[in-house]
Amino acid sequence: MIRQFASMTLKASVLGSVCLIPSVSVAQGADGIFDIPDRPTLNFYGVPGLIDMPSAEALPDGQLAIGVSTVAGQTRTTLTFQATPRIQASFRYSGIKDAGIGNFDTYRDRSFDVRFLANRESRYAPAVMIGLQDFAGTGIYAGEFIAATKTFSGSRIRGNVKATVGLGWGRLGSSGSIGAPFGSERPAFQENTTGGELSADQWFRGDAAPFAGLEWQVNDKWGLKAEYSSDAYDVEVNAGIIERQSRLNFGAEYAVNDFIRVGGYYLYGSEIGLNVQMQFNPQRPAVPLRLPAPRPYDIRPKRRDNPSAYDGTWAASRTTASGAVRDALIPLLEADGLTLVETRTDASTTEVRYRNNRYRATAVSVGRVARAMARILPASVETFRIVPVVDNLAQSAIVLRRSDLEALETAPDSASALLAVAGITSAAPSLPESARNADLFPVFNWSLGPYLAQSLFDPDEPYRADAGVELTMSYKPAPGWTVAGSLRHRLTGNISSSDRENNSVLEHVRTDANLYAQASDTALQNLYVSKQWKVTPDVYARVTAGYLERMFGGVSTEVLWKPATSRLALGVEANYVKQRAFESLLGFQDYGVATGHASAYYEFGNGFNGQLDVGRYLAGDVGATVTLEREFSNGWRVGGFFTLTDVSAEDFGEGSFDKGITLTVPMEWFIGRPDRTTRQTTVRPLTRDGGARLSVPGRLYEQVRGGHREGLVGNWSGVWE
Amino acid sequence: MMKYIARVAGAGLLSVLLAACGSEKANSVNLPRLALDTLKNTAEARRSGPPQKTVVTSKMLAETKIAALQVNPETTGGSDFLRRVAVRRDSAGGVVEIWNSSDNAQIFLRNGVIVGSRGVGRDIIAADAQVTVNALRSRTDRRGVRTFTVSDGDVTSTEMRFNCEIQNLGSNKITVVDQVFNVTHMRENCLGGPSGSNALRNDFWVQDSSGLVRKSRQWAGPAAGYFETVLLKN
Repeated sequence: MIRQFASMTLKASVLGSVCLIPSVSVAQGADGIFDIPDRPTLNFYGVPGLIDMPSAEALPDGQLAIGVSTVAGQTRTTLTFQATPRIQASFRYSGIKDAGIGNFDTYRDRSFDVRFLANRESRYAPAVMIGLQDFAGTGIYAGEFIAATKTFSGSRIRGNVKATVGLGWGRLGSSGSIGAPFGSERPAFQENTTGGELSADQWFRGDAAPFAGLEWQVNDKWGLKAEYSSDAYDVEVNAGIIERQSRLNFGAEYAVNDFIRVGGYYLYGSEIGLNVQMQFNPQRPAVPLRLPAPRPYDIRPKRRDNPSAYDGTWAASRTTASGAVRDALIPLLEADGLTLVETRTDASTTEVRYRNNRYRATAVSVGRVARAMARILPASVETFRIVPVVDNLAQSAIVLRRSDLEALETAPDSASALLAVAGITSAAPSLPESARNADLFPVFNWSLGPYLAQSLFDPDEPYRADAGVELTMSYKPAPGWTVAGSLRHRLTGNISSSDRENNSVLEHVRTDANLYAQASDTALQNLYVSKQWKVTPDVYARVTAGYLERMFGGVSTEVLWKPATSRLALGVEANYVKQRAFESLLGFQDYGVATGHASAYYEFGNGFNGQLDVGRYLAGDVGATVTLEREFSNGWRVGGFFTLTDVSAEDFGEGSFDKGITLTVPMEWFIGRPDRTTRQTTVRPLTRDGGARLSVPGRLYEQVRGGHREGLVGNWSGVWE
Repeated sequence: MMKYIARVAGAGLLSVLLAACGSEKANSVNLPRLALDTLKNTAEARRSGPPQKTVVTSKMLAETKIAALQVNPETTGGSDFLRRVAVRRDSAGGVVEIWNSSDNAQIFLRNGVIVGSRGVGRDIIAADAQVTVNALRSRTDRRGVRTFTVSDGDVTSTEMRFNCEIQNLGSNKITVVDQVFNVTHMRENCLGGPSGSNALRNDFWVQDSSGLVRKSRQWAGPAAGYFETVLLKN
């Protein structure tokens, strides 16, 4: 080894060391010098709080928390998201054994909470929180509260102590009432209602009762809690599943690591409870991404030192020059996981259109393309036009001056300085007289892999899943054209074993999922032809025909207006589809419908995205869908949506209207290596036939926005990575 | 129930076996394999303890014909020898050198002060070191604000500001591979960062005759921690 070093090739002198790159485990340890901010502990409802009572604490911005608690045969699983520093939203799925509600052995319910931090804790003033619990469900947990929490730490006691006092209404005001300050009319919990509607008329009405508690964080690992509860557990006591002998609850908690905290409790003088709390922040990657260091920019000689280097005669013939640039760039881009589509150059400006197959963040690919261009282009080229292309859609043109790149690479504040002088504009649909990469078409891809299909919240079996193999194929004969399909074969699973009677009075556009599952183990998920292209620099278009999804097939057309620098996008989609047969791979049923939407998309800034879709849904109902989402620059997305149509709550059935939450997770966040894949999940408390949208592969908006200004800016420092 | 679990497990196993099948392999991620590698590395690290620093001999140095910088990362242990791949004079003052490691990571040194890293993980994208560079040049006490643009490890970045104080701790002698240098020991204490109370402490040993930073111990980012650098050959 030492001989290697002596032999002058310093590159070979690794000497068996781990070099500069810290391993995964060490990286998280070293992170310790920038400690994770204090995060509150969770209560039995999976929100910041004491044991069964809430506190006034907010989670760190963006935090996701999952709480699973169990006491007296009652299990609550809650997902909580700190959507903004002050606003928190939760979705909860709970099961109460032998509750005697309806005809269920286990009564299962879904509920939503929302909390607002009215005052941040300061030196003297406590944090103040206003919360609505189960504000739109069937209301078994319905309650509201105002709470105040103050943290004390000092030299006399170890760790710190948090004291909480509050006033609860509804369920949280059912024991130890002090009267009804805002009026007394409040309907009791009613079983067998459809739920789902905002119960605004009962918020903060009826009896109010105080609650209080203390949390002592003894050290980083251990915490003790004691509280005085204002929840009478009326429903559970009546059903005989809990004996409530005391208002006082006690517990001890232990932090296993930064992610998991477990607790054991003694509740209401009779019950032992357990709580598992998980928390993480999407803004802190599980494994930090490490990109191989790029080659430093190749700097041109100064013009006065070498004027002939700036001579532009090399580009006298555009065709020849473009062809030469193309041939030189293809291998350089390939080495960075990028594919050259086409290029055109003259003596001063070069445009490169390329596909990014490697980096989730488009900005990284822009930086890598710029470096490749600086390596091969003659000094006379001063303007780089870099155009990321997704499946024949040129997303935008990032225009960089070469001298800026040369000057800023090592400058303090290099990222924002470069952004200030970079141009981001809409890209023309095509690049005439370009030198094209001739090896791109036709291309055939296939993959054979596992799949997992899940069905949630069936009252008989809350979690059902099918697993099997999926064969996916795609053929791209020419730019923008795709012929693709996917075939699934189920190996195991129990989705088909659902035998609940379908009581939907609408067309069964979504509620027959179990019939599809029962009909056959092998199913053609989709098989379609599509063509997409740019009409003008700001307008994109798509036509898709075939078996679009498992339940519908037909024709779908879409037009989208989205300038590269605009926060607003407008789109129209029109489809005619027929319902597919249960059994046969290719057959149809009788039901057909013209469905489509006019959509407006808006990027509010700070990662908040909104979408409004107005139109006709699959069951022929007319209405609108509102979607609000928080998107982190690293690709995590957490959102919620609801759809209101002219279908009445009664006709819709349980839940009253369609709603749900969406979660998008980038793989890169977990593996710490460049990767473009994401996993998206939509969780609907109930899937019914009203407000159901067609699922079309390859909608335009998501394809183009990543390369537009808002999509680039959040990752702009990646240009230098 | 057991039968059902067995079937699911069977399907899972089959899925893993099939997972890597397809025409596009270059970008696919093999999660089981990745997990194994991570485990293996962790286990090996535990068994053998941290790698040791490499001691460079004068013979080795004599045979080195190009500029060489030894970097000893404190967090991971071990040593690496970096090659100078670029030298820049820019408008921010001073000279920036880009040094490449054997595993294709880089550090940027502005007159010996780390102002950037690449490929290390949670890299310093850019940094303002003007106050430090000035103090090292004049070997006098200075104070001022330093800023770092630090990668969050997910292609986003955070601006960190520190209030720094650089002090001259007096003259000293250091030995770099049998060569003795008269140096001035400069220490930089910084406070700030995301919490406002994060502390950094950087040490520089500046050669009296040339003004070169012969040796240093500097913060190289949240994941990398502190690097010891030794300029073996300039």
